Amino acid sequence: MAVYKRTYKPYSGELTANWTRFAILPRYSLATLFDSKILIGLLLVSLLPFLVAATIIYLTNNPVARTLIGLRGESILSIDNRFFFQLLKIQGSLAFLITAWIGPGLVSPDLTNNALPLYLCRPFSRVEYVLGKLSVLVLLLSLVTWIPDLLLYGLQAELEGNSWFTKNLSIAGAIVLGSLLWITVQSLLALALSAWVKWRIAASGLMFAIFFVAAGFGEAFNQVLRTYWGHTINLVYLINEVWADLFGVPTAVSFSRRIGDPRSLSVPVGIAWAILLGVCGLCLLLLNRRLTAREVVR
Amino acid sequence: MAYRADELIVFENVSKFYGDVLGVNRVSLTIGPGVTSLVGPNGSGKTTLMNLMTGLIWPTKGAVRVLGLTAHDPERFFRLVGYCTQFDSFARGLTGREFVYDTLRLHGMTHKEAVERTAESLERVNMTEAADRKVAAYSKGMRQRVRLAQSISHHPRVLVLDEPLNGLDPMARAESMALFSTLGKEGMHVIISSHILHEVDRISDQVILLNSGYVVAEGQIQGVRDEVKEHPMQIMVRCSLPGLMAAKLFAQDHIMEAKLHADGRGMLIRTRDAGRFYTQLHEIVLEGDIELEAVAPADDDVNSVYQYLIGSEGATV
Amino acid sequence: MSSEGLAIPMTAKAAGYPWALWRAQLLTILRLELKRNFFKLRGFWIYLLAFAPAVIIGAHAATSRGRCTLEEDTTILAGIFEVFYLRLGIFFGCMGIFTRLFRGEVIEKSLHYYFLAPVRRELLVVGKFLAGVIAAIFFFGSGVTLSFIFMNGHFGAAGRQYVFGGPGLGQLGSYLLVTVLACIGYGSLFLLMGLLFKNPVVPAVIILLWESINNVLPAMLKKLSIIFYLLPLCPVEVPAEGLAALFTVAADPVPVYLAIPGLLCVSGLSLYYAARKIRTMEISYGTD
Repeated sequence: MAVYKRTYKPYSGELTANWTRFAILPRYSLATLFDSKILIGLLLVSLLPFLVAATIIYLTNNPVARTLIGLRGESILSIDNRFFFQLLKIQGSLAFLITAWIGPGLVSPDLTNNALPLYLCRPFSRVEYVLGKLSVLVLLLSLVTWIPDLLLYGLQAELEGNSWFTKNLSIAGAIVLGSLLWITVQSLLALALSAWVKWRIAASGLMFAIFFVAAGFGEAFNQVLRTYWGHTINLVYLINEVWADLFGVPTAVSFSRRIGDPRSLSVPVGIAWAILLGVCGLCLLLLNRRLTAREVVR
Repeated sequence: MAYRADELIVFENVSKFYGDVLGVNRVSLTIGPGVTSLVGPNGSGKTTLMNLMTGLIWPTKGAVRVLGLTAHDPERFFRLVGYCTQFDSFARGLTGREFVYDTLRLHGMTHKEAVERTAESLERVNMTEAADRKVAAYSKGMRQRVRLAQSISHHPRVLVLDEPLNGLDPMARAESMALFSTLGKEGMHVIISSHILHEVDRISDQVILLNSGYVVAEGQIQGVRDEVKEHPMQIMVRCSLPGLMAAKLFAQDHIMEAKLHADGRGMLIRTRDAGRFYTQLHEIVLEGDIELEAVAPADDDVNSVYQYLIGSEGATV
Repeated sequence: MSSEGLAIPMTAKAAGYPWALWRAQLLTILRLELKRNFFKLRGFWIYLLAFAPAVIIGAHAATSRGRCTLEEDTTILAGIFEVFYLRLGIFFGCMGIFTRLFRGEVIEKSLHYYFLAPVRRELLVVGKFLAGVIAAIFFFGSGVTLSFIFMNGHFGAAGRQYVFGGPGLGQLGSYLLVTVLACIGYGSLFLLMGLLFKNPVVPAVIILLWESINNVLPAMLKKLSIIFYLLPLCPVEVPAEGLAALFTVAADPVPVYLAIPGLLCVSGLSLYYAARKIRTMEISYGTD
């Protein structure tokens, strides 16, 4: 074709900032996810602990309101580190359900339908892809964990007075750090499983299996070998240990344990941290291996 | 030629709806032996029709009978029917040979018989050398051929092929078309859907045109063409004196257009009445002492019929 | 190549008698399913579920050196069987094996090959179910047997006396019976779920949670679970501990002569409904 006839010109207009490109994925993923009635239901159910906790905080700080509803005595509960610790445990369970529902569907359809090359053949890296998918989970899980918890913290501080806020800053730190750790572990695990099995249903089942079966197996391990190291494969146990340490709350003692029985001991919190971070690292390695634009069949 | 009920594929007022979406509507067809092409744009209902024929989906209304049988009797039905679907997917971990062999064992064949027929069908589609490699490592054309081998391995009487030429190189396409033509001549019902109209045209005995879930036309290509009255027939004529012939033809009221070819030896005639044209052509040639080299219909093919009845959407010429 | 549509040459028996044909087809389906889906490296998670307890019990057997009693280990084994194997291992194992049989083929877009073969769809359900049951019983039965052997083996003569001269063999027989019944019960349920639901994990998790809280359910609701019929068949009772003991609701166990046929009936009904469902099933591989 003669040069003067070549009317095609590549795009030369303004480009968006490179670091914002990954946001394309959560934008479209969230639009699709909110078509799911089950997700809407889970999010609504996840708001219930927040509403109940807000009511308790209000009643605890308002003797008149307590009298009006017929409650006598000083207060219902003490709004302290234990309160927020228990609240985070409940929200953590609900966050797990949300992750198990939406996490597996983030990566596996792209692999099953050969959509990954479509992303990666553009100026879009695997890191941006993972960040994009991760941000979907981080956003949704934040909405049901540390964000409402910080609002409750603010509410308590407002009702109790300024001194409460400054005296209990460690609670706010524990809320944010504890929530982000659990969000990161769950999200990476969900993405890694989704990339590994390539079948959304299998990835969902595997999420539940990892949590339930690992807990059961860990307990069996402890019983058989008369030890406590079986807890190291129980992610729920480990995160509870970390949270208890962050909030400064002693871990619950089992009713049935005998004094001197090694099965009643707890895993050191440093080990718990190391294992949780190790799980995150393992998930990233798995994602690195699985998220490629090519497949080699031997 | 009259066929018995057990020699025909019959659709009796069949409709298929996917929820609110129409698949096919009020389709009544009778398909005899030979090669039948299903032609239509994307979404016209070709695959729906094939799936209805083979029991992968059930009609919302109406009934389908293939050689007097329905898919509700799979043990007899699927011995007679082979279907090469559009789904380019396989069970995991299989080689091409295992893929064909496993299907034949499901037919109840012995190991020895299944091995022989597997080898035969793979040889037929030129996949013998690659047969022992995993299907996951095949190219698209190889996967297409191994699926074809699987659908013909049990020697069906009805062979349904959903876009069987997809992914095949020209050599493989020509070989496949030759195979389908042979099977059609042997009395098998071969139903093919394809977008490569000129290739399908060469071997088809009849054509079914679909558009938006309705049968627009069906029958032998020439018959269908004749019925498309609103589009005059185009006929290519090559002779020694095209100008003279054109002048004489224009005297006839059924001639609409005569376009002379640049080489001065041919012309394209458009006529409303092909029968009268051919009759008068003889007279004109003899009167004018014109040397006639060739006379051939220029739009008596699937592609032209498709263009006239459906439009230019979805066809590969 | 002839295309006259003559009857495909089969064995003489199969040509005349459909039972022989069905047997041949059933065996083919079994062979195909066992070859394709089981005993493969990608199925290692089943081996993990089935044999992990045996591994740790084996480690315990190798290192315990008289620090435990037979009675204690028998109770621990019973606890592992009831808590890990029944509620978790066999449950998730069957979920993975049986939901894959049909739903997995739909995801992989390969189910139509079976539907296009001259095989009755009901026979397909039976064949796939049997393949799943064989695999599940093989893996979990072996795992339970190995766990039992390791747990009793390291006691030497006392262990042998307990097994061959005492209640040991009977206990092993009971564990294996419960394993078989659990595989059949959960298997039929998950096979049906794989046919009914696009995402069978959701009802599976609901069942898991329901079975988990079976101890604390009222007597009437207890009867609506598979675990309620299986636990009485276990040879050694494992008392609830701690908080769980406070909330446990006692209920009259179902007699053995009712529990086993009842479970088999429920499984039979599940399979019957699955067979009815598959007759009208259409191939529609939407995007996941």
